[in-house]
Amino acid sequence: MDFKYIGKSLPRPDAISKVTGKAVYLDDIRLPGLLHAAILRPKHAHAKILNIDTGEAERMPGVVKVVTGKGCDLHYGDNIADLTPMAVNKVRYAGEPVAAVIAETLMQANAAVEKIKVEYEELPFYLDAREAMKDDAVLIHEHSEEYWRLPTLKYIPNTNIANYYRLIKGKGEEGFAEAEVVVEGEFNYPFGSSAAIEPHGSIVWFKEDNSIECWSSSICPFIIRQDLAHNYDLPVSDVRVHIPEIGGCFGYKSDITVEQTIAWIASFVPGHPVKWAATRKEDFTSTLTAHGIRTYMKLGAKRNGKLVAIKAKILHSGGAYSDTAVNVTIGATHNSSGPYEYEHCYLEGYTVYTNTTPIGAYRGYGHQESQFATERLMDMLARKLNMDPFQLREMNYLGPGSVNALGECMWKTNGDVHAAAKAVQNAVFSTEKNKEDDKYYYGRGFAALMKSPKGAPFSTKGCYMKMNIDGSVSVNMGGAEVGQGLRTVVKQVAAEALQIPPEKIRVYSEIDTQFSPYEWQTIGSMFTIQGGRAIIRASDKLIAILKKTAAQVLKTDEDYLEYNGEYVYLRNDPSIKVAVKDICRGYITSDGITIGEVAQATADARLPRYSNPDSETGQGSMGVDYTFGAQGAEIRIEKATGKIIVDHFASSFDMGRVINPKQLRSNVLGGVLMAVGATLSEELRYDENGHQGNPHFFKYRIPTLKDIPAKSTTVFIENPGAVGPFGARGIGEHPVIGVAPSILNAIHDAIGVDYYEIPVTSEEIKKALVDRKENA
Amino acid sequence: MAEKYTIKVNGIERTVEAETDTLLIDVLREKLDLTGTKRGCDNSTCGSCVVILNGKAVKSCQKKIAQVDGGEVITVEGLSRGKELHPVQKALVEAGAIQCGFCTPGIATELAALFEENPDADEETIMRALNKHLCRCTGYEDIKNGALLAQKLMKDER
Ligand code: FES
Ligand code: FES
Repeated sequence: MDFKYIGKSLPRPDAISKVTGKAVYLDDIRLPGLLHAAILRPKHAHAKILNIDTGEAERMPGVVKVVTGKGCDLHYGDNIADLTPMAVNKVRYAGEPVAAVIAETLMQANAAVEKIKVEYEELPFYLDAREAMKDDAVLIHEHSEEYWRLPTLKYIPNTNIANYYRLIKGKGEEGFAEAEVVVEGEFNYPFGSSAAIEPHGSIVWFKEDNSIECWSSSICPFIIRQDLAHNYDLPVSDVRVHIPEIGGCFGYKSDITVEQTIAWIASFVPGHPVKWAATRKEDFTSTLTAHGIRTYMKLGAKRNGKLVAIKAKILHSGGAYSDTAVNVTIGATHNSSGPYEYEHCYLEGYTVYTNTTPIGAYRGYGHQESQFATERLMDMLARKLNMDPFQLREMNYLGPGSVNALGECMWKTNGDVHAAAKAVQNAVFSTEKNKEDDKYYYGRGFAALMKSPKGAPFSTKGCYMKMNIDGSVSVNMGGAEVGQGLRTVVKQVAAEALQIPPEKIRVYSEIDTQFSPYEWQTIGSMFTIQGGRAIIRASDKLIAILKKTAAQVLKTDEDYLEYNGEYVYLRNDPSIKVAVKDICRGYITSDGITIGEVAQATADARLPRYSNPDSETGQGSMGVDYTFGAQGAEIRIEKATGKIIVDHFASSFDMGRVINPKQLRSNVLGGVLMAVGATLSEELRYDENGHQGNPHFFKYRIPTLKDIPAKSTTVFIENPGAVGPFGARGIGEHPVIGVAPSILNAIHDAIGVDYYEIPVTSEEIKKALVDRKENA
Repeated sequence: MAEKYTIKVNGIERTVEAETDTLLIDVLREKLDLTGTKRGCDNSTCGSCVVILNGKAVKSCQKKIAQVDGGEVITVEGLSRGKELHPVQKALVEAGAIQCGFCTPGIATELAALFEENPDADEETIMRALNKHLCRCTGYEDIKNGALLAQKLMKDER
């Protein structure tokens, strides 16, 4: 297939507005009568609220209103409605909103919020699922049975277990009877933060005409619209949500979270927009955090290396509210089998309430946490079997005809993990490994991976397309640009589908639920696949309209016409033609009569035949479109300090079709470095009082320029998929999945020590090196 | 105590009334509506708020207005001339160094100050300047390439 605009590294449509500082992010929005909110966070991680004294705060200069959760009976959540906008009678984590001050300026609000006095009665608190699951643990939610939840979810009454998901394939656990060799281990992916450089924030405005207007640094305007309308008893059409430019997301700005809190606060000052932008500290403590996933995993194989059974138990410390964690747990559970086929699977996922900041989406959505276990164990199994780890994996990869844990059959159109693995093997393992020297140990590690989207019923994406009178085209969609480059993809896919040069395609620059087509949420690396498909569908409709008009002008049948972006012409005689720009608003004859209709179209697309899991087996068509890949690391460990230096990192994915090679590589490098951060330094830690101990960048160390690998290899394989535009697949989350196991496998290769938990810091390595010396 | 301060911002003299300890970032963003300067942290660790103060790249969240009275500030808005981008801006666009764009203004002003003062800055100096900037999106490779290209473009323009 020859492409004109696909596969080219076109520049981003939004680069100039960003580089000139003119792009408007949430905190840059100015509105008439804007007031500012500051929010009080509790002293304790789990406590009853006995009394809140707001008197002194109310008398502070500039204060318009002090708000508490008193009398608030609103609950929300799209999976489990366990969230409240503000703590009502108790607090369940140390970052929860307890009260708020609305004032003329932010400084005044901050000064007054400190004057609010709250009396608490402390309760025992749990920072880890294992603690919260103990028989004598107090309940974090006393009445969880009263919460609305999706019918597919199952809570366990009178426990802190918010949800239990189980997947059985084949004989389940009994399948291990067929195994001749078994390996097992317990792996931990600790709490982390998406830590976008733009902190989260929202503005909500209850208007005098009884409508609500909201702005949020969010990727799900339509969920916000729907949930606010529901809570405040309005028609959905009376809530208008705007999404300005977003300064990075990586997951945590999905779902509805802070918007409900700001709405509750703003509801006390109708007529005024109220703004809250998180401080960096609040962004860590009081927006969605990540991971908190402990994986117990066991693999069973034949002596020849053929895998037969997998058992995994995922313990997810989901935080004080589980609405946003529960699907991460489920994703971690059914994707824990990675890129391999097992005849028997027994996979369990527990989402557990803990007194920590709620967990939500983070780039990878459960995949990296549980496949960290899979890929560490595959190396261990290879050692136990005395087999080459590549060969072991080769024997077991999913491929055409094999069936994954969910029961979905794989096709050629799901891509080729062998090819991706080979590419990484060539890049990283084809030369002799460096020999240990005075200063360093050297090691190399590998991981293969599988990524499924995380869909839902009606997780659709819409496209409005209109051709203007000069033949240029405006494309309007609801997908949120968070930096991933979605606008570039829209432009290139639309250009290709319409055969129009990209310069003549204008891509939407903001989202406004009043004008934008419906989009579920921009998550799961699904925009390219579904959004791209919606663009193709809209383009096809638009071209059909042009042909219909042209058929009248050229006095022939529609199906006898061809279209090339500039003209519609007779199939057998291209000289009989009409210019697209002459028919795009209908054709005006010389006597002024207009025939035909305006060339504009709407379409949407979702994951075809996505389905809910079966209530017995937990299986179902929940992945639909898969991506396979592989990653590998070459590292060096400094003997004196224990420092791990990543010298070379290689990634390969079967992208189906590369839309923009430059952007794709940039996306992969960004993802890899983010996961290098998680592997070597990032961890959100809670102190003995249940407060986050390091909610600042100088303590929660995200990678800087000097942490980048000296060399980065990216190789993209193109076996077209069946769903995405021109066969393309998504890439947003994939690069983070195989990084931790690659590096930890490389550490073992270098110094012979197995780590089961990240981050692996230089202190830990140093300690291991000392221990090793002592034991030797 | 609110006082009057005068600073030259992007070539124009501006007088603002502010408390002595008001931060430069807040003067720029809240009083002068120059929202291109971004806030990404609470304690001067991200670099998003960097502006050029008297020729040097500084974190505007680290300077109180009283300290900069009479000074000259260039923000990201002051780099381009109409539609003509500053060479640093051209280079960052060209190199694909912009994803979400939130870290971009700080990086652009940092590099503009650096190459204005030291057109021949060696790679280590450039890396040291960039190392104060956090970017969660790009993995820095494109930013690094953008910086090297910017240096070349600025030299070519001389
Ligand atoms: S706002 Fe982060 S360094 Fe100034
Ligand atoms: S481009 Fe997003 S933080 Fe740098």
